[in-house]
Amino acid sequence: MPLAQTSTFVPVVVDKDLCIADKGCTVCVDVCPLDVLRIAVTEDGPETAYMKYDECWYCMPCEADCPTGAVTVNLPFLLK
Amino acid sequence: MDEILDGTTQIDCDILIIGGGTAGPMAALKAKRKNPDANVILLDKANVKRSGAISMGMDGLNNSVIPGYATPEQYTKEITIANDGIVDQKAVYRYAEESYSIIEELDQFGIRFQKDQNGEYDVKKVHHIGTYVLPMPNGDTVKKALYRQLRKARINIINRYMATRLLTGESRIAGAICVNTRTAEFLVVRAKAVVMSLGAAGRLGLPSSGYLYGTYENASNSGEGYSMAYHAGAGLANLECFQINPLIKDYNGPACAYVAGPMGGYTANAEGERFIECDYWSGQMMQEFYDELQGGKGPVYLKLNHLAEETVAEIERVLHIVERPTRGHFHRGRGTDYRTDMIEMHISEIGFCSGHSASGVFVDEHARTTIDGLYAAGDMANVPHNYMLGAFTNGAFAGLDAVDFIKDVDFAEFDTGEVDAERTRVLAPTKRDDGIPPNQIEYKTRRFVNDYLQPPKVTAKMELAQRRFEEVRHDMETEMYVRDSHELMRALEASAIMDCADMAAAASLYRTESRWGLYHNRVEYERDDENWFCHTILTKGEDGKPAHHKREVQDYIVEIEDDEKDAYNNQRVTKSVAAE
Amino acid sequence: MNALFEDFDEIEELAAALDDPSPGARIMAVIDLADSADPAAIPHLARAIKDEAVGVRKQAAQALTDFDGPDAAAALVSALADSDPAVIEAAAISLTELKDPVSGDAILPHLDTTDTIKLKACLAGIKELRRTEAMGPAIDALQHSDNGVRTEAVGVIGWLQDEGSLPALRDAAKDNDTQVRRTALAALGFSKSEHAEATLIQGLADDEWIVREAAAETLAKTGSANCVPHLRSALGDDFWQVRVKAVRSLGKLHAKEAAIEIAPMMDIPVPNLRKECAAVLGEMAVAETLPYLEKYVDDPDPDVRKNVRWAMGKIAA
Repeated sequence: MPLAQTSTFVPVVVDKDLCIADKGCTVCVDVCPLDVLRIAVTEDGPETAYMKYDECWYCMPCEADCPTGAVTVNLPFLLK
Repeated sequence: MDEILDGTTQIDCDILIIGGGTAGPMAALKAKRKNPDANVILLDKANVKRSGAISMGMDGLNNSVIPGYATPEQYTKEITIANDGIVDQKAVYRYAEESYSIIEELDQFGIRFQKDQNGEYDVKKVHHIGTYVLPMPNGDTVKKALYRQLRKARINIINRYMATRLLTGESRIAGAICVNTRTAEFLVVRAKAVVMSLGAAGRLGLPSSGYLYGTYENASNSGEGYSMAYHAGAGLANLECFQINPLIKDYNGPACAYVAGPMGGYTANAEGERFIECDYWSGQMMQEFYDELQGGKGPVYLKLNHLAEETVAEIERVLHIVERPTRGHFHRGRGTDYRTDMIEMHISEIGFCSGHSASGVFVDEHARTTIDGLYAAGDMANVPHNYMLGAFTNGAFAGLDAVDFIKDVDFAEFDTGEVDAERTRVLAPTKRDDGIPPNQIEYKTRRFVNDYLQPPKVTAKMELAQRRFEEVRHDMETEMYVRDSHELMRALEASAIMDCADMAAAASLYRTESRWGLYHNRVEYERDDENWFCHTILTKGEDGKPAHHKREVQDYIVEIEDDEKDAYNNQRVTKSVAAE
Repeated sequence: MNALFEDFDEIEELAAALDDPSPGARIMAVIDLADSADPAAIPHLARAIKDEAVGVRKQAAQALTDFDGPDAAAALVSALADSDPAVIEAAAISLTELKDPVSGDAILPHLDTTDTIKLKACLAGIKELRRTEAMGPAIDALQHSDNGVRTEAVGVIGWLQDEGSLPALRDAAKDNDTQVRRTALAALGFSKSEHAEATLIQGLADDEWIVREAAAETLAKTGSANCVPHLRSALGDDFWQVRVKAVRSLGKLHAKEAAIEIAPMMDIPVPNLRKECAAVLGEMAVAETLPYLEKYVDDPDPDVRKNVRWAMGKIAA
């Protein structure tokens, strides 16, 4: 019983140019009550935050607490 | 991150507080202040900085009992009437007496309550008997201010650990078993006292959007508190008194009529007429809301478009920055403007939450559960209609009493086999090569909750629910499959949700009468004070399934006159009109 | 295994990162210092609020919200001179979060500033600290050309609740800005003086409805029998919002003589007004109003119905 790879459109968007995850920032990941954000890590180290799990309460601490204004919370498509 | 590691650590503390939202931090602060030597741990499956129902703040208090505006007697009376009399008044009265000092304390923390131009509390009249609404103009800073206090008091905070089972021994609490949500490592905490403040069971019904996390409550409040209390043998009261709230359709956030109310906003039917009392949420009010939606007079709206520009701007300022700030995004996306459009409303999915109803882990006026050394506070404890200020106040009671409790006790011995058994249960979905992911288990459970448990409640439907739940539970226990520790957290939540669904069905079937308006509207039964003027207590039976008994309502300390008892019913239009 | 508990790192260690060449790293240092909630972090944040990078300065201005006292206040006041509006805004907000009256020591010397934005922020900051020394500068600020400054100044005066400030507040009640007049009338609520009442009565005739509304509402706190005839006139105001407040205030003042005028207002098709009228008629319990109430005992509006039935019960009792 293999699992399907169904795609979903995620509500939280991070502007790579503004994100300072490479400086060790994990503010948005830390404050998410549902723990759905992660830092993408490449060979060069941490790069940018992104939404890994589509499990969003659109509550907004990630956007409000981001020190550089890199995070935008949109409403999940199903209810917007 | 998120890989599954093997490991178990054991630590000891005097008081373990599970849940760092609203009640938990206050319990921790009060305990630490009363006994600075006590080892207090505050644990949360998220991060205490932004966890819980007030993650983004709160726009006001709707149950503040401020001298000069309301008295504890008035408040107790009002809550008793709103809950159809099934209230142990001591806990409500103690809240009413002591919550003002909590307001003052929160004010000192930097949590602002609205003041008038002379710096006095600007209490707004909404309720009938007393005046209880106190807006919070910078309510968006609540969590920040709380966190600051926790850090100042040097409270030991453990983030990203999810408690899964309580440990008991020697007929009292012994600790808790927890799992790291990012590594699946275990943590066993031995504790002399445990305070549970894990919030509502908000992921019980499925929102009509179909989005699992588009719930009324913070979606991280998935009912583990109820599930853990149940498995530990604690009593849970009146679970059939569901939480159902009026909210903004699709967005599924609160309409906050109590913010807009004092400024002239109200809930209206398609004809623009007010059809429900705006003064207080009660099951009766929700029944009328439901009737209007179903009876051809819907849709139902939040009406603000009769207000002046100045007033609308003020309402927007409050409602779009605090509690659910994405509300502004939502209205913009739909092109809805309060000035010209009414806001479509709906009723929420069902849940358990004493913040808005009267169900929860049974506690007395000291926040003590039926297990020695185990406390519960906030949305998961059964002090009715206690909202945010109740969570703070009852959390304080729990912390204070726990400090007294630990004085004379050492750690209770527990059966280490319980830890092994829990490890096996928790890790089972990680040991399979394939199977059903937790989101599908959860979706199916919650869809059945909607299909069969959403009031009006019908016996045959609820019995069908029990059969379907049993099937899904079997699938969950034998086939659930997770790939990483994050999914494991969701799997554990799915299991708690399943427990809550079982309890919701069982409790609803047990009380063979109708009470609390829509919350427990059993179509085959009328209200029956002779047999059911009592609490119903649900416990885990010998067979591992819910068992029930009745518990007397304590003698009132504030008498309710006969003509006041049915105050809510008496407000209805004469029967012939209502039946149209 | 990850560290179990949140840590309490040494402030000096955290502050060392403020010298990192990367602004991002310095922002993180500021956040860590704020989370420490340790007052020893204040001098470091005071340094960060002068950082060369705007992002760091703004974060430092926000971070100081977590602290109190004259040093935190002084750093925030200094940030009001920043070249970037975002930093100024953050500092101004943090200033209003101060709680300790002693923090005012750092604000008071700046109340004579000629910088409008700075003055406004300093007045807003000192208001809740209730420092009596702010009274003079606040009264002076009532002459300022900026509407926002004058509004904040009225706020400072109102919070001090000093009968001596009445002449200033009465002048402010004649200001040409609506918001200043509205705030000034509301600020008169503390006064027991008949001059305050007279000013509020004049406010009932203001050109702007939100000013009339404030006057009608505030009279409930400070009004006497003198204002009753004026509130009765306000029952005919063009704006229902003003009428609602007039009805409520007449109720609070137990002005039973107005009951017979309020009763016919039940016919006006404004739900909020009808609801308030019914409630006040119950408080007044004047038998002559019963026929008006009886008409609405089965009103389709449940709030009106509830209040009508309650009021009829009061009259019967």
